[in-house]
Amino acid sequence: MTPPAFDLRPYLEELERFADGQMTTAEQTAFEVRLEQDAALYQAYQAYEQLTADLRWVAGHETLHQRLLALDRRLDQRQEALTRIRRRQRKTQQQWGVVAIVVAAALLALWLIMRPTAPTLEAAWARYYVPEVGLPDDVVNESRRPLLAEAMRQYRDGHYVQALHNLRRVPSSNLGQDTSLYYSGIMLLSQEEPEQIRAAQPFLRRVAMQSASPLAGRARYHLGMAYWRNQQITAARNTLRAVANDPRNPYQDEARQLLRANVLPQE
Amino acid sequence: MNSPQQLAEVLTSLRIGNQSYLIAFYEQNRDLFARWARRQHQLVPAVAHELLRTVLVDFYDQVADGRLTKLPPDVRAYVYGLADEQLRSASTTEILPKDEAGRRQQLLRLFRQLGLDCQKMLMYFYFRGYNFEKVAGKMGFANANVARMQKATCLRKLYELRMRSEAGTR
Repeated sequence: MTPPAFDLRPYLEELERFADGQMTTAEQTAFEVRLEQDAALYQAYQAYEQLTADLRWVAGHETLHQRLLALDRRLDQRQEALTRIRRRQRKTQQQWGVVAIVVAAALLALWLIMRPTAPTLEAAWARYYVPEVGLPDDVVNESRRPLLAEAMRQYRDGHYVQALHNLRRVPSSNLGQDTSLYYSGIMLLSQEEPEQIRAAQPFLRRVAMQSASPLAGRARYHLGMAYWRNQQITAARNTLRAVANDPRNPYQDEARQLLRANVLPQE
Repeated sequence: MNSPQQLAEVLTSLRIGNQSYLIAFYEQNRDLFARWARRQHQLVPAVAHELLRTVLVDFYDQVADGRLTKLPPDVRAYVYGLADEQLRSASTTEILPKDEAGRRQQLLRLFRQLGLDCQKMLMYFYFRGYNFEKVAGKMGFANANVARMQKATCLRKLYELRMRSEAGTR
């Protein structure tokens, strides 16, 4: 480290005025003359020049240092702000995601509740099947045919097994064959068991084929319904079409309604 | 800014005190440099940023001192190399004569002991080359004369700090 040659302070103000161009023309000329003649002043001038040269270097160095520091702080702040924004956006997205999931779940639940369900066979049966009402009392004539009256009562009360049992005990001389077959088929069909429904079909078929019998049309309707109940769709459709096309059949309207409702599965 | 002509212009503008190239360089490369420093030297970002600032100031000093007369074709690679050297404390770049370097480093230390207003004033005048009117405007002084007197006071303070420092070491 080179120590300064001497104390600059007595010369500092004058040297600054000269270096910074603050002197008048006459002052500057006089100073330049003195600089050539006064060795101490010249030495001070050299020292001052070195000091200001070093100071320029320091000022440049420090300016860059401080500018970079300020920029660094600004970049850090921008980074923090961006991170904050991204965090907020992520949070908002998550919130919307939760809302979307909840809405989707609610819509799904609503759809599950409200969706149109295909009518089950049970429901369609309950809706479209028109049960046989049984023989009226005046036709039964209880005093003459007590077993038949008992069977009809049990049938109306829903006791189909006992009703069928009593019907079979009615002497054949007391009851027409077609009536016996018809109600046997009806009572088997009414039990709504697959086996009994299949068992009802031959009885009903036999009556349906007796074109002379007044029960033939009714038997055909119940036979068609027995086929449907037993999921014999082709037979059910053909039989019920025959009923729907027969203007004398008391079940014509019911058969038409059933066919129109399209509840029979497509073949 | 990579063609030879542009690089030559960078060097010229740095020599006349236009530091915007290095400021832009820092802004564009700070994060990239921090990733490199983390991978190569396991530095945390704040330390890496400080290292890059030190290296850029050093690079600027080399240009200002005239130690660097030709801008390297790949400035980024050169700066990374300087950082590497800095970490290994193995400088391969040309160094200033010991007297000159010591004198400037001492003056830099003393400069940082001045008040912020004095530092700013001297930077405006001796580095940015502002005249007294402009310094007065920047510093909020009444007129150029006040600025001139304040500059003289600050220079005297710095000089006296140096006198005291040298008296202490003698």
